[in-house]
Amino acid sequence: MLEAKDLTKKYEDGLLALDHLNFKVEPGEIFCMFGANGAGKTTAINLFLGFIPPTEGTALIEEIDVVKEPLKSKDYVSFVSENVMLYGNFTAYQNLDYFSKLAGKRNLTKAEYAHVMKRVGLQEEAFDMRTKNFSKGMRQKLGIAVAILKDAPNLILDEPTSGLDPKSGQEFLDLIIELRDKGKSIFISSHDIFRAKQIADRVGFMLQGKLVMMKTKKELKGEDLNKLYIDYMQEHSGAE
Amino acid sequence: MLRDIIKKEIQDTIMSPRFVFTFLLCTILILLSVYTGINNYQAELKEHSAAVALNRKNLEGQQSYGTLAGLGTKINRRPQVLSTVVSGIWEAVGRVAVVNIAYDPSMIDSKYSSNPIFAVFGSLDLTFIVKIVLSLFAILFTYDAIVGEKERGTLKLALSNRVPRDTLILGKAIGGFVSLLIPLIIPLVLGLLILMIYPNISLSGGDWLRIGIICLLFLLYLSVFFTLGLFISARTTRSSTSFLILLFIWVTFVTIIPKAAVMMAGQIKPIPSVHKITAQKDAYLQEIQKEAMTEYKKFSDENPRPGKDKPEERERWNEKYKEWAEDFQRRLTGKIDEKNAAIERDYQAKMRQQQKLAVNLSRVSPASALMFSTMSLARTGVDEHERFLNSVKMYKPIFTKWINEKMMRSLNLSGGEQPKPDLSDMPQHEFMPERFGESMTRVLPDLFLMVFLIILFFVGAYVSFLRYDVR
Repeated sequence: MLEAKDLTKKYEDGLLALDHLNFKVEPGEIFCMFGANGAGKTTAINLFLGFIPPTEGTALIEEIDVVKEPLKSKDYVSFVSENVMLYGNFTAYQNLDYFSKLAGKRNLTKAEYAHVMKRVGLQEEAFDMRTKNFSKGMRQKLGIAVAILKDAPNLILDEPTSGLDPKSGQEFLDLIIELRDKGKSIFISSHDIFRAKQIADRVGFMLQGKLVMMKTKKELKGEDLNKLYIDYMQEHSGAE
Repeated sequence: MLRDIIKKEIQDTIMSPRFVFTFLLCTILILLSVYTGINNYQAELKEHSAAVALNRKNLEGQQSYGTLAGLGTKINRRPQVLSTVVSGIWEAVGRVAVVNIAYDPSMIDSKYSSNPIFAVFGSLDLTFIVKIVLSLFAILFTYDAIVGEKERGTLKLALSNRVPRDTLILGKAIGGFVSLLIPLIIPLVLGLLILMIYPNISLSGGDWLRIGIICLLFLLYLSVFFTLGLFISARTTRSSTSFLILLFIWVTFVTIIPKAAVMMAGQIKPIPSVHKITAQKDAYLQEIQKEAMTEYKKFSDENPRPGKDKPEERERWNEKYKEWAEDFQRRLTGKIDEKNAAIERDYQAKMRQQQKLAVNLSRVSPASALMFSTMSLARTGVDEHERFLNSVKMYKPIFTKWINEKMMRSLNLSGGEQPKPDLSDMPQHEFMPERFGESMTRVLPDLFLMVFLIILFFVGAYVSFLRYDVR
């Protein structure tokens, strides 16, 4: 479970990047957060991963405060970035091996790595290829393979489908659904409303550091999420 | 986990094209430098033996002690076997010192004077390769150690796991350093093996000890640049910025500080020019010559030479003249030597002060520290040169005393043939190269300086990384 309680971040230059953010992602739920660039989505992720300290509030992973117990909290979360960049001189196997060890997963066999790579849709001939020759889609798949191998109960994805072709994007979403069905709490920050609405159990709209709207899948039924997002943003931008 | 990070760091570096390039270049350069070092040393050794034999032949060929006194003897410095790895200043300062009764000895016939093209580019010895090439590689290996991982996004991915930052920086430092050592150690070991098995190169246990410490200094020097690279990499947000800053520091350390230190020392503690010193000595010589003429005139006036019709009196006069001349010559050369020594002492003291200041100022740069310490160990530096020159200067009065005595005793005032010089009792110049303990005393400050810089830069990198913004 991921939970933000009044999570606030004000940078040294005075910019209020996140303003009392509150949300909870339950096990077996996908929460998609939308917002324009600079809305505060990535700041929220950085706070959950302990890369920056909050000004106020708390970020909890499995009820562990990430500020108080930063290392322990990381045992319960996997992260897939917008642009998964691995060690280019390493093969897919070597990258998986290294990051699995960092995640505390030792003694995994080559067969287990191969199984996960197949599961995320990587072609067998890519297993021994240096990742500097991988396409973005292949790198994203390997990134999710790293997350799967870590097998943490929570998954944070930062713009995971940006730049992916339709086929790769769909394959990626299928994997996320599979993980959700296994009981993972999944937090996705995205611009890609079209893809996200296919999988989201709940969506939130961020504007200038604030979570200005939150709707469940049920509430969204029959609504045009894209239109809703644009209208909402225009309305609130005008009101500011 | 630390082991995994170290292993990853080594693997990642070894598989990179820059490692392959570095390794190949280092192997070629190091082996080439050892090979040319050995060849140069052997050629120098041959030349030294030939020069010693020629000098002996020249001395033996002199017709009288008078001509021998004017010609003097040549002291050839034996090349140091460790010049194969650290050529030092020896090629520039000369290999031969002429000792005669007239002038103060100085080193002549340097390799650079006989072939000036060598002076243009200097020699390609092991110290040069480590000082210039490998230190650049150290920067090339580390400029993006932290910032590069941030740019690639791998740092964020790694730290999204239960990885303490101190473990990560430690792993990166150890792994990166091991990767840097591989291109140095393998060719270096091969080079030393060549040195060991090459015919006519005899290295004593003491020489191997010195080589071992030279290698340790190489490692420390590279560690300075390695930790500096890590530090700058942990202080910047772009790898291009990191590289530019490091390049600037490298140029400052390797070329600007050593040259600027010498220039500054020259300004702060100026010394008289060599011409001025020579002019002072010449002026005194002229003064002495005048004095000699007056004294000779006085002797002649007080002791007129008997005519040819009084052979017995004339013979007595000859004996008296010989005694007077021997004593007179001794007094004159004594005076000249004393005065010259005083001028020289003053000049040397001023020069030493200037040199000391230049050395201390330039020590801020690890490149200077490396040069001074390795040259001290190889006995090819300024100090060893001065020790040798001083030993020649100490030999000069001994030689002068011997030749004066011989010259005066062999005076034949009747105009007959002069006796041929007998060299059997000619005093020989002796020089004891610096002992290991003395060399180490001079090396220790440089060694500690490098260790201090390593600690400083590593602590800087460590602290910076603990606070590093990985976003």
